[in-house]
Amino acid sequence: MKRVSRFLYAHPGGRLGLLLGPAVLWLLVFYLVALFLLLLTSLWQQDVFTSELVHKWTLDNYDKLFGGQGGLWLRIFGRTVLLAAIVTAIDVALAFPLAWFMARVAAPRWRTLLFLAVVVPLWSSILVRIFAWRTILGGSGVLNSVLIDLGILDKPSSAFLYNDNAIAITWAYVWLPFMVLPLYTALEKIPNSYLEASRDLGAGGWTTFRRVVLPLAFPGLVAGSTFVFALTMGDFVAPQLVGGGSQVLGGAIKDRFGVAADYPFGAALAMLTLVTLVAFLFLTRRSNALEAT
Amino acid sequence: MKQLMTLLVTCAAAGALVACGGSDSNSSDKSVTGPNVNGKGEGKLNMVVWEGYADPSYVKQFEQQSGCKVNAVPAGTSDEMFTKFRSGGGGQYDLASFSGDASVRAIKSGAVAPLDTSKLTNFSNLAPQLQSPGFNTENGKHYGLSFMWGANVLIYNADKIKQAPTSWNVLYAGSPYAGKITVPDNPIQIADPALQFYGQQNPYAISQQTLDQVAGKLKQQRPLVRKYWVLASDFEQLFKSGDAVVGAGWPLMTNDLKKAGVNVKEVLPKEGVTGWSDSWMLSKNAKNPVCAYKYMNYVTSPQTQAKVADVTGYSPANRKTCAVVGAQRCADLHITDNKYYATIKYWQTPVRPTNYRQWTDAWATVKG
Repeated sequence: MKRVSRFLYAHPGGRLGLLLGPAVLWLLVFYLVALFLLLLTSLWQQDVFTSELVHKWTLDNYDKLFGGQGGLWLRIFGRTVLLAAIVTAIDVALAFPLAWFMARVAAPRWRTLLFLAVVVPLWSSILVRIFAWRTILGGSGVLNSVLIDLGILDKPSSAFLYNDNAIAITWAYVWLPFMVLPLYTALEKIPNSYLEASRDLGAGGWTTFRRVVLPLAFPGLVAGSTFVFALTMGDFVAPQLVGGGSQVLGGAIKDRFGVAADYPFGAALAMLTLVTLVAFLFLTRRSNALEAT
Repeated sequence: MKQLMTLLVTCAAAGALVACGGSDSNSSDKSVTGPNVNGKGEGKLNMVVWEGYADPSYVKQFEQQSGCKVNAVPAGTSDEMFTKFRSGGGGQYDLASFSGDASVRAIKSGAVAPLDTSKLTNFSNLAPQLQSPGFNTENGKHYGLSFMWGANVLIYNADKIKQAPTSWNVLYAGSPYAGKITVPDNPIQIADPALQFYGQQNPYAISQQTLDQVAGKLKQQRPLVRKYWVLASDFEQLFKSGDAVVGAGWPLMTNDLKKAGVNVKEVLPKEGVTGWSDSWMLSKNAKNPVCAYKYMNYVTSPQTQAKVADVTGYSPANRKTCAVVGAQRCADLHITDNKYYATIKYWQTPVRPTNYRQWTDAWATVKG
């Protein structure tokens, strides 16, 4: 035992290796190798009938991705990015006031309660939470009943469920905690003295928000947006349950693997998602947001 | 860094080898010998099935009798079933209840083992056309045991639609029920309009031109569809909430919805119907073959077939079932009606002139 510790003391490299080794190995085997296989698969072909992979190189999958079927796959990609952007924007708009209230206004007791209210839904299955929206938005759902009782509608509207609106609403709800929590952490750290100083120097509420609060909250905003954007780009559960049938990227990938058994093209679609997310991360890195946290 | 890359490439190559190995065991021409089905089972059974094919109403009794604990995963489409069955090298599931559009693929890809019909106690009581049908028998080898069959029917809410529809037209452009229609989210659905509106008597062998025409018709249908259903439960939810009043489905849903108190009816429209004929198939790498044979024997027995028919509304393959259900129900289920059996266009995997990849692509274009 003593010898081991002496060895480790004398060899900082060994120390580091021992500490990092398992994590690096894990990353390597379960992330990098898996991703590499995904890349390989996207460059292979497949027997249509038996769905066996044929290990012959081809770029057909990418050809199809960027131009096939009248641009279908790029349209699906575009819709998904747009939806992800909308959902991220909704979550920012909802989460900012809430996080501000929790971090700076609410009494400690309220803060705990609000915190629980944000986090507790995460303990239940995401399926249950999505199904709940099906009950709320459906033809005989809560929303329609209330609107009819209020006299706003005279018969149930089908505009709420089984379309893109429903997908956006559901996503905005299920990912909200991932926006609130990083924002809360960022806002909580702003010292009161900064706000006082800003006011002392004659800045109004809007100027203080724009020039003091927003820059300091920016890392939290970026972290939250990254979570929400990435989760949205990959999800297929909400679109399948509350969507009408128009495809999103996550669903298209799932269908390529699970329904069409077209692994090479599914892998190519997955690579597109991956590249998009890496680009997104790169942009946020460029803005120095992550270092500031 | 360089070392890292080397390691990475080696690992990936090893992974690829594993992925590409394992298709070498071409079956030799020995006659098939199944396990001792009267022996003790392995204690469990994993299956991927159509909804209703492992219903508690008859599975519980099987578990008690056989000591095999049943784990049944439902699939929404043939493709999903095929993919699930083959995932993880094909050893994850012992049995699948493939329809004709997946069963041949399963045989060709070598994923399933031939069955020993001498161990299948109900084999000789199956309807003659279901003992060695092309979709589960090849070169005299039985890779599947026929189980249930039926038609894809038009289901409607009889409270909302007073006059029974007689044509599939109610699902397409010009329908008075626009926005309240549901159809399966399944590329094989292309066969329906091909048969019903483009005169294709073999709707699974259609030309590119017909495929384009059908896709055009389905695109016009797209805005009328409230939701493309994936699982039977989706379909039922849509009818229960009133979000859909008419749709293409299976007798299972008519059955379930009636039990749930929704006044639905089903019809076979005049343009003809597609359908399916399902077979139990055993994985080549089944870990629980004894339990699998026990289950196949159990669910094809007349008593259980009657119960499966009660759950699903599908027609049993075993003709002796008539003795259990009585003459009226026997006639309703068309159990011995060869003529009726022959009118249905059973699901097959399209190979040519257009293949299934082209169908799935066309379907993706329709959904948008």
